[in-house]
Amino acid sequence: MKILILGGSGHVGGRLFQMLSGRAGLDVWRASRRPGDAARRSLQVDTLDRQALRAALAGVDQVVNCVAGGAPAIAQGAALLAEAALDTGSRVVHLSTMSVYGQRLGLVREELQTDPGPGWYGRAKVDAEAAMARLVGQGGQAVVLRPGCIAGPGSQQWVGRIGRWLQAGRLGDIGALGDGWSNLVHVDDVCRAIEAAMALPVAPGGAGRLPVFNLAAPDAPRWSEYFVDLGVAIGATPVPRLSARRIRLDARLLGPPLKVTEKLAARLGLPAASLPDAMPSSLVGLWGQEIRLDAHAAESALGLQWTPYPAMVADSAAWFARSGHGRAVGC
Amino acid sequence: MIVEASSIAAGACLEADICIIGGGAAGISMALSLSGRGWSVLLLESGRLEHDEATQDLYAGSVADERLHSPPDKYRHRRFGGSTAIWGGRCMPFDPIDFEPRAQVPHSGWPIGYDEVARFYPEANRLVEAGRFEYDAETAFGPGKPLIQDFHSDLVRTDGIERFSVPTRFAQRYRQRLEQAPDVRVLLNANCTAIRLEADGTAVRLLEVATLAGHRFRVAARDTVVASGGIESARLLLASNDVAPAGIGNENDVVGRYYMCHIAGNVGMLTVKGATSRVRHGYEVSRDGVYCRRRLGLTAQAQRRLGVANLIVRLHFPRITDPAHRSGVLSGLYLARRLISYEYGKRLNDGAPESFEGYARHLWNIVTGPVDTLGFLWHWLTRRTLAQRKFPSVVLRNKSNQFSLDLHGEQLPLPESRVTLSDERDALGMPRVKIDWRYSPADIETVRKTLDVFVAEFARSGVATLEYDGAALEADLTRFGAYGGHHCGTTRMGSDPRTSVVDADCRVHSVANLFVAGAAVFPTSSQANPTLTLIALSLRLADHLARRAAARRPVPVSTPTEASA
Repeated sequence: MKILILGGSGHVGGRLFQMLSGRAGLDVWRASRRPGDAARRSLQVDTLDRQALRAALAGVDQVVNCVAGGAPAIAQGAALLAEAALDTGSRVVHLSTMSVYGQRLGLVREELQTDPGPGWYGRAKVDAEAAMARLVGQGGQAVVLRPGCIAGPGSQQWVGRIGRWLQAGRLGDIGALGDGWSNLVHVDDVCRAIEAAMALPVAPGGAGRLPVFNLAAPDAPRWSEYFVDLGVAIGATPVPRLSARRIRLDARLLGPPLKVTEKLAARLGLPAASLPDAMPSSLVGLWGQEIRLDAHAAESALGLQWTPYPAMVADSAAWFARSGHGRAVGC
Repeated sequence: MIVEASSIAAGACLEADICIIGGGAAGISMALSLSGRGWSVLLLESGRLEHDEATQDLYAGSVADERLHSPPDKYRHRRFGGSTAIWGGRCMPFDPIDFEPRAQVPHSGWPIGYDEVARFYPEANRLVEAGRFEYDAETAFGPGKPLIQDFHSDLVRTDGIERFSVPTRFAQRYRQRLEQAPDVRVLLNANCTAIRLEADGTAVRLLEVATLAGHRFRVAARDTVVASGGIESARLLLASNDVAPAGIGNENDVVGRYYMCHIAGNVGMLTVKGATSRVRHGYEVSRDGVYCRRRLGLTAQAQRRLGVANLIVRLHFPRITDPAHRSGVLSGLYLARRLISYEYGKRLNDGAPESFEGYARHLWNIVTGPVDTLGFLWHWLTRRTLAQRKFPSVVLRNKSNQFSLDLHGEQLPLPESRVTLSDERDALGMPRVKIDWRYSPADIETVRKTLDVFVAEFARSGVATLEYDGAALEADLTRFGAYGGHHCGTTRMGSDPRTSVVDADCRVHSVANLFVAGAAVFPTSSQANPTLTLIALSLRLADHLARRAAARRPVPVSTPTEASA
């Protein structure tokens, strides 16, 4: 079976490539914007180039869409992928996000109408899911996965920068401000879900048949608790209790200039990785959002067994240490 | 959601699967735990989000002996969040021995064991934000960091710690979560004035609710939980006497009896030999950022062998009122005691005669120790006033290796120590409480025997000496009366209805759908402050009610597939 991972040098894509490579009976390739190397089973593919994508999918049984980037790469890329997959008969496992639920509160199941709100990211992800639904409606095969916050080795977003904020004393136990559910999921569980989704039979007929699964560890705690646990695990101790005011000030006052500096540094080719991370206000809002993904469907249909939360924290902290506070590339 | 009781139509009857009376540590913990389990929860809270004088007055009542017990409206806050609005945050679990029937403690023994409560301690610890459920020094701080270096004893434990909550104000901390919970309705200004039973007295029919503005309505719930605190829960049961003449659950005259607080005081003088660095007497911060403090106590075996109840001590500073301590900080505290709230100022006023000379000497201490005093004020400002996690209490730098023992111990449950109703009535027409707290000579003897073991063990170790004035022991332990705020035992748990009010499930023996949450159900009081354990028991009760409700849900007539077809 030939598998192609789009976005194969990213966090999940890279990890999945590692996990599946060398498996008997699998011919695993990855594609990204970087120059390819056939010997290492990597291709350079611009997923917004219809012809190139079509060519890359030729003979591919399973294509996994882990493409990240701006709105066009996400939404338009998914639409082109759906078209191409319909032609080549490739099955798609598409990595979506909990952001399609936007500002919703409470326990959310997959049947719930998506409602991404005003953010470009959520809207692009909803559009991408719609492309997958069209694919299934036209007789193609696709499965959509909606992970929560993907932690574990290699996670810049939920381990790297959080750990750096903890070490800088900019984050800690933030009490009620971090009262939202973290919906953390181990990157390896996401990879296992992708693998199981490849084998999931998809009934033909009707866009409503698109299988969709939330992915979040059922024992993932609320954010404040995760910050304390990660802080202890990476040795940023004693983990301080910080006021909501202080966190909001950090986001509002430090955030914009840090972001501008970061962009400037990138343009000038300076090492932006050594800059302090900006703390986006939208992220602070997420920490307080009472939203919890119901991932029972993934358990029963994909047979997932979640990595226990303490192991997720331990794996995350070990990666944080060996990658130099998450700044080195790779897992 | 959180709404005002005035928004409910007068004369209406609200329905809910589970109704909780009282939104303090117990009630809020239960509501949070029950949310998301498929049942509708109604939480009746008498108070508002902030303090209200007229509501607080509903707590007023009388005490038999003012020297032995504070007035009933002190140490209790009748507002959303209850007394977590003023608590100090000290947390520690009960010990396994507390649950055992003990020959030396008459009326002791719980119908459940330590393990049954321990299942809920980690979650309780999370709710009070006291970090991980790690209560021994070695787990929290690693090996080789003893309370007193080179002190080893088979009888005296020094490895225990207490952890401190933020202290978490439950109303502020959990308000948003309760507001957003679709299955929880919190009513503010909603006073339950009576529990009405069915005519045969075996089940709750409805609850009467009133606001201070005169608005009245009713609640019909499948299960009712009284979570109004150690004094108020007994009051509500006793006052609900239309069907059960002696009050609900009071067929055997047990409701309101066995009322306990804790025996506490400053005793003795411990002198540790050698350098001051040999002693860890103050607060330490655990890796998860929580203030912790070491404690000494007897092992369970030693308690059994000596025939004593459970107590602990902390290493403390000398008596504040006596200027002989020559500490500018303590003298400053003493002089400022009238500016400190009743609950925290009480123990700064130990009845020592006030004299001009005394004041002058305290003032002299401040003037001659300005560096210490200013250092203390700076520390207090940055670590307490402005800090998010509060430095728990005044601890002085150890300069002399001399400490008094700050003692906190169990008192024996006594049937004659009790809460009853008086003839006076409050603004809602409910009888006010009368508190007659008693202690037993055996409580003092427990302290004496325990201190004697400490004396002998320190002497044997050669690293410290302990002295105490045996003649003044009772006076030292009862100077401030019952330790404030720790009201336990008035609806005690047991398997025999003749000597208890609720069963092992916290259900009133004679009423099928009435439960009590809170320290009122403690049959014995332990060495521990009650909050952590009452929250653990409340979480256990929530778990029980969620399962109980599930067992009763009628089997659906149609399968889901048929229904959606």
